[in-house]
Amino acid sequence: MTSRNTIKIHHGSIVCEESKLRGDITIGSNCIIHPSAAIIAEAGPIIIGDCCLIEEQAKIIHRLPFDQSDKENTPVLIIGSHNVFEVDCTVEACKIGDNNIFESKCYVGNKLTITNGCIIGAGCRLTEEQTLKDNTIVYGRSCQMREGLDRPVPQTLQMDTLSKMLPNYHHLRKPNKKNQ
Amino acid sequence: MSYIIGSDVVRYACTCGILKPISKLYFCRHCLEVRCGFCVCHEVDSHFCGKCAENLPSSEARLKKNRCGNCYDCPSCHQQLTTRAATVGPKNPEDPKATPRKVFYLLCLLCRWSSRDVGIPDQSAVSGGWPERENIHANRLQEIQDMYKGIVLLDKQQKLEKDKKKQRRYMSFTDRTGITASMLRKRVGLPDIPHPLLKPKPKEPEPAVAKEDVEELPEELLTKPVNLCEVTTMEQRLVQPEWQPITVEKLFPIHKQLSVKRSQRCRSCEHNVSKPEYNPNSIKFKIQLFACFHIPEVRIVTVEPLRAGKTCELLLKFSNPTQHQTVITFLPVTLEMEETKISEQVTEDKSVVDDYLLEKKQPLSLTGTGSQPSSLLHASLSRQPSITVKPRPIAVPVVADITIPTSTFILPPRDDAAEYDDSGDTHNIQDDSKLVIWRKSNKAVVKLQVTPKEDLKIGDEVVAGFTMQHIYVNTITTVDNKEPQKCEHKVKVFVTLGNLVGSE
Ligand SMILES: [Zn+2]
Ligand SMILES: [Zn+2]
Ligand SMILES: [Zn+2]
Ligand SMILES: [Zn+2]
Repeated sequence: MTSRNTIKIHHGSIVCEESKLRGDITIGSNCIIHPSAAIIAEAGPIIIGDCCLIEEQAKIIHRLPFDQSDKENTPVLIIGSHNVFEVDCTVEACKIGDNNIFESKCYVGNKLTITNGCIIGAGCRLTEEQTLKDNTIVYGRSCQMREGLDRPVPQTLQMDTLSKMLPNYHHLRKPNKKNQ
Repeated sequence: MSYIIGSDVVRYACTCGILKPISKLYFCRHCLEVRCGFCVCHEVDSHFCGKCAENLPSSEARLKKNRCGNCYDCPSCHQQLTTRAATVGPKNPEDPKATPRKVFYLLCLLCRWSSRDVGIPDQSAVSGGWPERENIHANRLQEIQDMYKGIVLLDKQQKLEKDKKKQRRYMSFTDRTGITASMLRKRVGLPDIPHPLLKPKPKEPEPAVAKEDVEELPEELLTKPVNLCEVTTMEQRLVQPEWQPITVEKLFPIHKQLSVKRSQRCRSCEHNVSKPEYNPNSIKFKIQLFACFHIPEVRIVTVEPLRAGKTCELLLKFSNPTQHQTVITFLPVTLEMEETKISEQVTEDKSVVDDYLLEKKQPLSLTGTGSQPSSLLHASLSRQPSITVKPRPIAVPVVADITIPTSTFILPPRDDAAEYDDSGDTHNIQDDSKLVIWRKSNKAVVKLQVTPKEDLKIGDEVVAGFTMQHIYVNTITTVDNKEPQKCEHKVKVFVTLGNLVGSE
């Protein structure tokens, strides 16, 4: 679609230069995006909320299901705040709320809607069209689901450490947006 | 590594007739026979908890129903639960000097189940003191258990009295190990102290009563949609047979099941073929007579496309795992092994051959036909077999013929340093160049001709077999034989070569 990349980064975010950002992407404040993470806004813009952690090899792809691709208005993928995308996860969900954790090597297809406080366990593959309710935990080989008591606690300590470490070893993209 | 040694492509025939890859076989140095997990005696050496590595004596383990007292498994996904610390505010927030308290709860790192989910109060000590649940049927179960214990005791008593009349001449194996104070008293002629549970007739608990009126089927099961997040799965119920929770809020931590360390014993000579170190932290063995340390390993290098009735080339790699040079000879494989096997066993146990023959009703003429060399007969080592396993016929369809080469080849001893030696191999081995096409240190690749049978269909699996005879140097010394002894050991090897392709 568009060959031009429009990247808006709000103040306080650490976005490594080697990360792969394609398309129209807005990143909120205090996010951390590791080198070699990939965010690809193929079907429309991606808006990421505050304090998200996107780790190495994580892939966030905005790609529409085939039966919806011919619609006129371009959909926007909105990702809430305090989400963690762990190493080598692939997330194509069409809407993501707050406080979710996508564990290592999980796969979330583009027919899913993720609400708040969900945990997609390591290696789980979700492809069927569904909306995960608040605090759903998906785990194990056969993707069993259970309802958690509460949202997972935010990884503040980890984020603090990373925000001190990463600038010492990586070139960063400059935030180009002032906080509203 | 497991895709090389763990696969079922090359299988060895165990003495009992089961085919297994070499990594799953044992080699008894005393009988000089291959043994597998199926034909050895398994013994429990020790009970231990896999998480906290605590060692429990078997009596205590039985008392605790083979579960660890301190470690828990997740009731939701059956992984280990970890203890997590959290800080909460002080007990009386008005006091300015009060420090925040540390509390502990259990958390599953896989499914994030926590003891807080079901309302178990947080504990103030790391080790917990987690509340135990009482089984409502505990009394009844105890009653039934006591009754059966009484029956067992009564049974034993009657048997002892019967045996006394029979006048026994020798002790059996069970007496040697399972002797009790009560038996000892009996033997020396003292009056026995009656066992507290021993009564003329064990007290029977109240029989179960059949009930006619059962609970009605709740209407809402049919009318309301089921919320699968609230009901437990079959596994979650069955893993707690005492409680069998139906809904998730009744899931409670499960005491972790204990693991055991096993030793394996050859059934013919009662020597250990594998014995682990007692300490649960150790992964080493005191005795490890694994076949891959004693018997040359065979791997398939390549095989030409297999066509029915057509001869094709098969390259096999042999490696010698021992510290002694060996000579490998190919012999045809015979599947009718039973008769010869029994005769071999008979020759081994010459000291007990008479009893054995009487027992087994074997014709005496078989004793002479044993093909094993006489060096095998360690008279002092062979004991009477406790259990004799009758080998089963090897159940594998051999559908290809291997042309058995007439020449033999030598495998030098294994030398761990050879890998780092760049000077090249210096051994001067005169090889039959038609047979051996490559060699390096203790390994050699040989070329064989294999012909799948005419009547095979395309896609059929092709299995070929041969008997490998190798010289085995037995380093066990006996009283009258201090030198290591050489002997010829035979093992049947079956190679799965792949599927038949279309004939041209
Ligand atoms: Zn066996
Ligand atoms: Zn334990
Ligand atoms: Zn769990
Ligand atoms: Zn043995």
